[in-house]
Amino acid sequence: MKKLLRYVASGMILFMLSGCGYNVMQQNEEAVKAAWGDVEATYQRRSDLIPNLVETVKAYAKFEKDTLTQVTEARAKVGTVQMSKDVLDDPKKFEEFQAAQNSMSSALSRLLVVVEKYPDLKANQNFMDLQHQLEGTENRINVARTRYNKTVETFNASIRTFPNNLTNKFLLHLKPKEPFKAAPGAEKAPQVTF
Amino acid sequence: MKKASASFFVLLLFLPFAVEAANIPAPRGYVNDYGNMISSSTEADLATKLKTFEETDSTQLVVLTVPSLEGEPLEDYSIKVAEAWKIGQKGKDNGILFLVSREDRKMRIEVGRGLEGKLTDLTAGRIIDLVVKPRFKAEDYDGGFIAGVSALIDATRGEFTADRRTPSGGQGPYVPFAGEMPSWFAFLMLMGFFAFFAAVARSRARHNRLSRRGLRRSGRGYPPYPGGYYGEGWSTREEKDSDVDSGGGFSGGGGSFGGGGASGSW
Repeated sequence: MKKLLRYVASGMILFMLSGCGYNVMQQNEEAVKAAWGDVEATYQRRSDLIPNLVETVKAYAKFEKDTLTQVTEARAKVGTVQMSKDVLDDPKKFEEFQAAQNSMSSALSRLLVVVEKYPDLKANQNFMDLQHQLEGTENRINVARTRYNKTVETFNASIRTFPNNLTNKFLLHLKPKEPFKAAPGAEKAPQVTF
Repeated sequence: MKKASASFFVLLLFLPFAVEAANIPAPRGYVNDYGNMISSSTEADLATKLKTFEETDSTQLVVLTVPSLEGEPLEDYSIKVAEAWKIGQKGKDNGILFLVSREDRKMRIEVGRGLEGKLTDLTAGRIIDLVVKPRFKAEDYDGGFIAGVSALIDATRGEFTADRRTPSGGQGPYVPFAGEMPSWFAFLMLMGFFAFFAAVARSRARHNRLSRRGLRRSGRGYPPYPGGYYGEGWSTREEKDSDVDSGGGFSGGGGSFGGGGASGSW
């Protein structure tokens, strides 16, 4: 009889847990993690492209040492930002990651603007190929970030709405995740100066 | 005044739907020439080519031309269309969207995740730069589309092969009445089969000769019907039905896109 009662009680608890969003929140968190994996992969892809790009540009644009150095430095900095698992839960670390990637983006866009001065380089097949790869990668980053933000939105909403917020408060203790924000100054196109 | 503002709010409520409908056109087939860039004979040729390609390789390649992007970034628009149309087979993610905007003089090849290995951003970029762009520049749009589609097919051929159940022939010979049968009825029928065979087996154990004749006689009315196949055949058939309504023989399989591909202008 006691055994039966225990079964009934555990069954009730299971039922209550699924009714209060326990599983939903876990699923949403996993979705955020998966989307974050995509974001990281696309940024990594960009970092991998850069040495090749720098080498190609170097051969044609010898006088653009500064710009090239900036790109290389930005890449090195991205590499030093420690990617740990809790970057999603820690707004400060997330900010760091985003700042490093943003400085990388702006260094790259400056480089691509500078390149306009060198018609030989622009006509180079190797450079054209790299440019396609870079564009493709930037686009992937964009898509991955948008999707990540969507999953974060779902997740954050799911831990804040009733009755999930109670479950979270007493059982799960999940923190809201950080979405990507537009980079400051991203609305301005880089200036061309000759 | 109050009335005016009220109706304004009602209008606002409908705004999102209106915008969405204007942005993404409905798929008409493999070739969607909303920008009027392709002659009708070429359009028909391309459509047949793309249909056969899907039948053999299951890869879905869809062409879309629009008159203008209306200020929207090309990449945003193309991934929206690719996702809305669900180009490519589910799980294989082998869809390609070839998008051209006439007035912006821009084009993009959007590549599904499953094809990114074969049709890299680089390959897609070269197809745009070396195959399509020169022809578009010479205003040979038909030639550009034909050459571009051929190049895309050549680049992706062999990456995937069609399943036994070809996507365009959803109504397999093994699915009788699939269009009309609700799923609970199918379930009942399956249960009926089990009960029937169980009964036969039991009665056969008892008196052998008589029951065997019984099996032959009552088994006649039933179609040959492998159970595991049924669920799939049913759902594709349903999809096919809805796509016949939209006309053109293309229906998205649910492939996913990750932003791969290349863009260009002419």
